[in-house]
Amino acid sequence: MIKDIPIIAEQAQQPRRTNPLAHVFDELMNFARSRSLFMLHYCTGCGAIELPPAMTSRFDMERLGIQPMVTPRQADILLVTGYVSIKTLKRIILTYEQMGSPKHVIGICSCTVNGGMYWQSYATAKKLDEYLPVDLYIAGCMPRPEAVISGLQKLIDNIKHGKSDNWKDYYQRYDHYLGNQQHLFGNNWQTPTDVIGEAREYGLFGPQTLGQHTELLESVQKPLQPLEMKL
Amino acid sequence: MDALHILIELTLMPLVAFVVGLFMVLMMRRIAARIQRRVGPPLLQPLYDILKLYGKQTQISHGILHDIGIIMAVGGYIAAETMLPVPGMNGIADKAGLITLAYVLMVPSLGLALGVGQCANPNGSIGISRALTAMLAYDIPFVIVIFGVAWQAGSNNLVDIIALQQVDGIASWGIVQTPLLAFAGLFALHAILGKHPFEIYIAPAEIATGPMVEMGGKYLGGLFVMQCFQLYTAGVIYTSLFLGGGENWLTFLVKSFAVVAVPICIAYLFPRFRTEDVVRLVWKWPVMLGLIGIAFVMN
Repeated sequence: MIKDIPIIAEQAQQPRRTNPLAHVFDELMNFARSRSLFMLHYCTGCGAIELPPAMTSRFDMERLGIQPMVTPRQADILLVTGYVSIKTLKRIILTYEQMGSPKHVIGICSCTVNGGMYWQSYATAKKLDEYLPVDLYIAGCMPRPEAVISGLQKLIDNIKHGKSDNWKDYYQRYDHYLGNQQHLFGNNWQTPTDVIGEAREYGLFGPQTLGQHTELLESVQKPLQPLEMKL
Repeated sequence: MDALHILIELTLMPLVAFVVGLFMVLMMRRIAARIQRRVGPPLLQPLYDILKLYGKQTQISHGILHDIGIIMAVGGYIAAETMLPVPGMNGIADKAGLITLAYVLMVPSLGLALGVGQCANPNGSIGISRALTAMLAYDIPFVIVIFGVAWQAGSNNLVDIIALQQVDGIASWGIVQTPLLAFAGLFALHAILGKHPFEIYIAPAEIATGPMVEMGGKYLGGLFVMQCFQLYTAGVIYTSLFLGGGENWLTFLVKSFAVVAVPICIAYLFPRFRTEDVVRLVWKWPVMLGLIGIAFVMN
């Protein structure tokens, strides 16, 4: 059984920096961050069909500064639209770990919230937030473009007020997320991204970054090999 | 005093280019939005994008060449801005000729090739090979055009070329004197900007933005800054060569924005060519028109 740990631990608000100029700078960066969101849509589910009208002339996301991007390196938001099969989830996690922080995950449709109509499926991951730190859910089967845009506006508000820091949770409680991933994918699960090393590099180490699951990871981890060149 | 004056100009000219370039990017995105019947981004959107990208908290570098490549890409354009005369500031434009300018304009593509090579992403490698192929395609008509203009003016100095065009009002503009060269130049300019239908190396749906595929955070921010410079450079070169430069800032900005708007208005109506089609098209029509134009000029 997957341990049912509440996902969003009440996060300590970052203390305001005392230097007034630094504070102004932080506010400016938060504002710029909220007004410019590059979106990577992982469209394997039916919710993807609601995104084209949200992006094109009917509702036009670009007026909110949201535009689609095509690679995880460039993106800020990972939109997971619809049901997540176990095979898909591996790709989503690989994609998420390649994104540069601050990054946000949005689960669209009921399937990402609780499995939706795939609740009884053996091959579907039920709750996305057990495997990734989800910032926002947009429920509905499927949510209309208005709902998608109002959800994105909620995210924009959160970012503007510095409340959308769930990406730090992935580093600080990596052991928890990794444990759930190992439960689903088996003990040999590993990703090319060195999350623990990144947490160390950027000072995002938390009390639960390391644990029994990361020990298991280290014991099975194979070093990355460059791909063999074949013609 | 003179050295100080030059130093101030060398600092101001890239800054002005960046600010004007931001508005050109905004204009490009607004035009695209209007053509697609959308509202488009707000006024400061290009600035927000760049601020956000530089404010990313984790950066993924693929090695030293990756870093140097971006610096070369932006630096090449910054060097080019100091050779483009604007009203009131000549910078080093009267010392550096058109040939130096054409040479410096190749540096960004080569820098990108260096940086992308180290990313070891196959999409990036395809993208950069296409970008260099496109450069090979558009540089031929571009060189023909600047040769024709330099021959017409009897000088390869942009300051002289602009001064010569401002003698007699519109009648002495390059676009009136040498219309064939001007048309070939506009064609080459469209290819230099790399917009549809010449967008072979970005191609988001095909090779995932090509050279930009592994760029995130400040690397992508550098490329966004480069895009501002690229639009500005293209607009100002064409204005200087064919539209009589700028008598004052108002006419200068109007002309530069109008020049950039022409290819962009065309761009968003078209899909993308294949690489070999781009080379074939660009080596055929603008080169032919440019050579006929040169024949008229040298006659």
